[in-house]
Amino acid sequence: MLLEARDLEVRYGSVRAVRGLSLQLAPGEIVAVLGANGAGKSSLLRALLGLTRAHAGKVAFDGNDVTRWSTSARVRAGLVLVPEGRRIVMGLTVQENLLMGAGQRRDSSAVQTEIEQVYQRFPNLAARRHASASVLSGGEQQMLAIGRALLAAPKLMMLDEPSLGLSPRLANEVLAHVRDLNRERGLTILLVEQNTQRALEIAHRAYLLELGQVLRQGPAAEFAADHSLLDAYLGRGQAAQRPTPAQLTT
Amino acid sequence: MLGQQFINGVMLGSVYAMVAVALTLSIGVLNFLNFSIPGLFMIAGMATWALIHAGVAWPLAILGALAITAAVSLVVERFTWRWLRGAEPFVPLVSSMAFLLLFEHLAIAWWGSEMRVLPSLFAGTDWRVAGFVIGVPQLVGLAVSIASIFGLSLLLKRTSMGRSLRTIAEDSDTALLLGVDVNRLVPVVFALAGLFAALAGVLFALNYRQVQPFMGEAVGLKGISAMIVGGMGSTWGAIAGGLVIGITEVLSVGYVGANFVDIAVFGLLLLILFVRPTGLFAGLPAGRGGI
Ligand SMILES: Nc1ncnc2c1ncn2[C@@H]1O[C@H](COP(=O)(O)OP(=O)(O)OP(=O)(O)O)[C@@H](O)[C@H]1O
Ligand SMILES: [Mg+2]
Repeated sequence: MLLEARDLEVRYGSVRAVRGLSLQLAPGEIVAVLGANGAGKSSLLRALLGLTRAHAGKVAFDGNDVTRWSTSARVRAGLVLVPEGRRIVMGLTVQENLLMGAGQRRDSSAVQTEIEQVYQRFPNLAARRHASASVLSGGEQQMLAIGRALLAAPKLMMLDEPSLGLSPRLANEVLAHVRDLNRERGLTILLVEQNTQRALEIAHRAYLLELGQVLRQGPAAEFAADHSLLDAYLGRGQAAQRPTPAQLTT
Repeated sequence: MLGQQFINGVMLGSVYAMVAVALTLSIGVLNFLNFSIPGLFMIAGMATWALIHAGVAWPLAILGALAITAAVSLVVERFTWRWLRGAEPFVPLVSSMAFLLLFEHLAIAWWGSEMRVLPSLFAGTDWRVAGFVIGVPQLVGLAVSIASIFGLSLLLKRTSMGRSLRTIAEDSDTALLLGVDVNRLVPVVFALAGLFAALAGVLFALNYRQVQPFMGEAVGLKGISAMIVGGMGSTWGAIAGGLVIGITEVLSVGYVGANFVDIAVFGLLLLILFVRPTGLFAGLPAGRGGI
């Protein structure tokens, strides 16, 4: 297992955001984490990265018990987050934002090559490399957030709602990039996504969270087939995304 | 006469500017109005006097004063920042004020409250250029201030540490999640701010040759004003603000009279803020004047 969380517990005062949650990821997997607003998805990712202190439980990453490690040590080990809301640094240029991703690394020639690779993957960023990041559109900001995470030499990339606020076309584009990263480089991915249908299309496995607990887990295909489950627990108009009978029969 | 006054004003202004840069670093990166900085300014001035008085050669006395002050700033970091993390935002501010008072009274207990006079180390080295008199410490001091502020802006703009500091300045949670070791960088900010306050204190001591335990208060007030007039959080603004205040102060001593200095200085500040409420350099993008 690349990542293994056991009996994780996150509390904010009296709110128990994550309750004894366990989760595993094997190398090369895309795992989707689904759940309604407030189910504890972001809290889970933040606790895995050590940004929010876990009150109980253990986190093992890449063969090490990282439960007591600082966030910067976890990032150096290759555990990297593309955060909710992208969190681009607006006072820096596009290129400086990418360099912030590489901030912990010493191999500067490899960093230069990888920056160029990010620009090849996301040509919109290349055109604005020396512009302030504040001129980027929402979609470009999301690409930059992913590029920045790539510069940290990730072994596991965690993405928190990367398609939030994007048009359906851009959302598909972002998720296609995520799938490509997995296919081309074997990058392991933990994907929190509100766009359940698309997330299940690219994921191998999924966890469904409710009130900070795992309600169900299994192969993504099983989830995708079980519409009543998704309707009942996600409650975000999933019915609208359900294929029409006509599509099902073809 | 006017030209000479102007030169003197620039010199005084550069002292204010360095104090304002120290305050700006703290506000800009940590969002912390650090009232211990005028105290650090005083410690550097008093330490310069005390070391020279004790017979230490002046170059060593300067280095000693800088080192002592930076070290004291790290102690302040422990008490106002590290151990108070998670406290209400005004708690570090209040505890840094307590440090200012503590430093002043420790200085009185240690060195007494009277004005101390430094020996004239550079007598007879004045330069006379086109009728102006420029003291060597003035000139060197000005060069050192310009170089150190330039060095700071290069550090912020070009280095990996500078990028991290600018990221912390914008959003420290983002810095953390990108793997920046914020706890390692906060002492760096305190040490840098301490060094700028110390440089200002040493320059003041060598140029005006008079130090006493409360010397930080007036300078601190003008440093804060310089920072606000320049536009909070902008290093170039802090410098511009410091120079405006220094020049106004010296010119008003010469032309209006010593009793009206503060009226002229703070009247002008109010006027500037009235016309430009955000200060002279507010809103500059980071790395170009902004921190
Ligand atoms: N900093 C915080 N302080 C207090 N409570 C919090 C904090 N962050 C989250 N919570 C609470 O913890 C619970 C889980 O929140 P979390 O953000 O992890 O959910 P989420 O699944 O990511 O939701 P969303 O889909 O809206 O992003 C919620 O009840 C939320 O109100
Ligand atoms: Mg969330």
